Amino acid sequence: MQDQNANINDKRVQKRITVFFIGIILLIIGFFFSLSVGSSTIEFQTVLRSLFFNIETQDAKIIQDLRLPRAIIGAVVGANLAMAGAIMQAMTKNPLASPQVFGINAGASLMVVIGVVLMPHFSPSFLVAFAFIGAALGGAVVYYLASSGGMTPVKLALAGITVHLFLSSITEGLIIFHEHTTEDILFWLAGAVDGTVWRDVNMIYPWSLIGIVMGLLLSRQLTLLGFGDELATGLGQKIALTRILSSVTVILLAGSSVAVAGPIGFVGLIIPHIARKLVGFDYRLVIPASAIFGAVLLVNSDVLSRFISFPSESPVGIVTALIGGPFFLYIARKGGKG
Amino acid sequence: MKKLQKEKSIMLLLCTIVVLVTIIGIGVGAVFIHPKDILLSLAGVDIGPNGFIIQQYRLPRIIIALLAGSSLAISGAILQGIIRNPLASPDVIGITKGAGLAAAIVIILFPHAFILARPIAAFVGASIVAILLYLFAYKTGLRPTTLALVGIALGAICHAGIQFLLVKFPVDVNAALIWLTGSLWGKGWEDVWLLLPLVLILIPLTVALALKLDILNLGDDVAEGLGEPVGITRMVLLFLAVALAGSSVAIVGSLGFIGLIAPHMARQLVGNKHRLLLPTSALVGMLIVLVADGLGRGVMPPVEIPAGIFTAVIGAPYFLFLLKRLQTKS
Repeated sequence: MQDQNANINDKRVQKRITVFFIGIILLIIGFFFSLSVGSSTIEFQTVLRSLFFNIETQDAKIIQDLRLPRAIIGAVVGANLAMAGAIMQAMTKNPLASPQVFGINAGASLMVVIGVVLMPHFSPSFLVAFAFIGAALGGAVVYYLASSGGMTPVKLALAGITVHLFLSSITEGLIIFHEHTTEDILFWLAGAVDGTVWRDVNMIYPWSLIGIVMGLLLSRQLTLLGFGDELATGLGQKIALTRILSSVTVILLAGSSVAVAGPIGFVGLIIPHIARKLVGFDYRLVIPASAIFGAVLLVNSDVLSRFISFPSESPVGIVTALIGGPFFLYIARKGGKG
Repeated sequence: MKKLQKEKSIMLLLCTIVVLVTIIGIGVGAVFIHPKDILLSLAGVDIGPNGFIIQQYRLPRIIIALLAGSSLAISGAILQGIIRNPLASPDVIGITKGAGLAAAIVIILFPHAFILARPIAAFVGASIVAILLYLFAYKTGLRPTTLALVGIALGAICHAGIQFLLVKFPVDVNAALIWLTGSLWGKGWEDVWLLLPLVLILIPLTVALALKLDILNLGDDVAEGLGEPVGITRMVLLFLAVALAGSSVAIVGSLGFIGLIAPHMARQLVGNKHRLLLPTSALVGMLIVLVADGLGRGVMPPVEIPAGIFTAVIGAPYFLFLLKRLQTKS
């Protein structure tokens, strides 16, 4: 009997290892495509050589200065958003919770646009601070609105979308009155990783690093929250503390992503669902799996986005919306139960 | 009976306010016109160049504000009745976005299309979203939860489409953006003639069906017990809501928050009975659009601020207040 159990356990562990392994392979493949594909296609060999040797050809320059930071930003932002979504879904026990639905993306975007429009001389690292403030405000308002008398998926979605509409109409208004910055901001508003440079990588990585470590550390507590507040308290959990730390983590992860890449939607919504399908309900596995597959989704979506209107670029947020929208429909049809 | 008297006087008061604001609203803008001149001009007296401004520019625009405000508000009132959620409204469940996407396609891809193309496209877009909404939610018997969630999902997809167009064809981005925020700028008599017949058909129809909404509000089981074909009734009402929202979005763009807050304000004034609620919502909706448009013209002339920004600025705080109140109740 015990043998059998051990056997099943072994299989499960094996499956999980395979899942993570496949995720990492997919990420590496996506990364290489991201470095090689674009308005000028660069061969894999050249890609490899310019990664590991210090060469000065034009192709190598493109890779080192443009495509590599872009691919890294794609992976980091994807991981951030998916992880933020997973944490939020665990915290609220709500399948629709995600940075986008929770108004966090819209709040952060509004604050960043305010920063850009009103104070154009501020350095970009100030924008991150703005994004954090916006993310916190947007999230807090939606949480406050949706959580009265039990947070059902519908309540959350309606409150979130209303706050989103309000924030984005103010954002649009600001943009209309500052014509000279319109085009760049519009691109960014749709969620885009193209045009990111090493400076952006330097800006985002400390925050994501803190966020990702915090997320991993909190994963056990988040799993316990899933059993219900009472049981979790009974097991000696400090629920309030877990919630606060989780919220801070979400704001760090989502806010820094929006500051760099704009409000990219749906990654935080769909990836945690996929991760749970693959590795089960233990958040110690769901959270890292979400991070990996979030990175996979965003890096590959970024590659796809280059083909939408080749050779010019399209925002990656459009690709994630086209993939994520139907998935949202699928969850919605189940009445938000899944 | 005494209570109904009170509600009647509230509606009468609202009517009076709407008329007053209309007259003042005509005067506001880059050229300020005295209310006395406005009345004279409306009565047919020739008052010189200002008369021309009133007749050709301000008057049609104000009429559009009245029509759009009332149809958006009624549309919202119906949707809140069907979905039985105080947060439902045409902008929230994706209908406005559908209209917006279709209209953006016309504005950006076919800028030289005939004038009617934009409203027709917006109407078609709103209907497509509504049909999809219906198809996706059909299996669950149009359960309110599913309607709301599917609507939001469809809205998100349309939004991605709009963003793609805006980014891909940045030629006329500002015009598209202004339209997407919702504005009455440059509306003329031809828009009035487009919108007026639709509204004149749809609003009386809706008010006639108001009783059905009250029955639906009793809950599906009770309504069915009363012999009401719940699914069909809901479908008809949904169609009316879409038609009203679609036709006004077609003309003024996606003016937000009116469908959301006007019915709530009306509910505070006259209560939950749809026979009173629908007309009162319409009046409140008119008032909001009039004020938003007037502010947009009057705050820093000659620059115009899209009315949609003001409806959001007026709408959101009220909305927050509302939710807080709902919370303390529950």
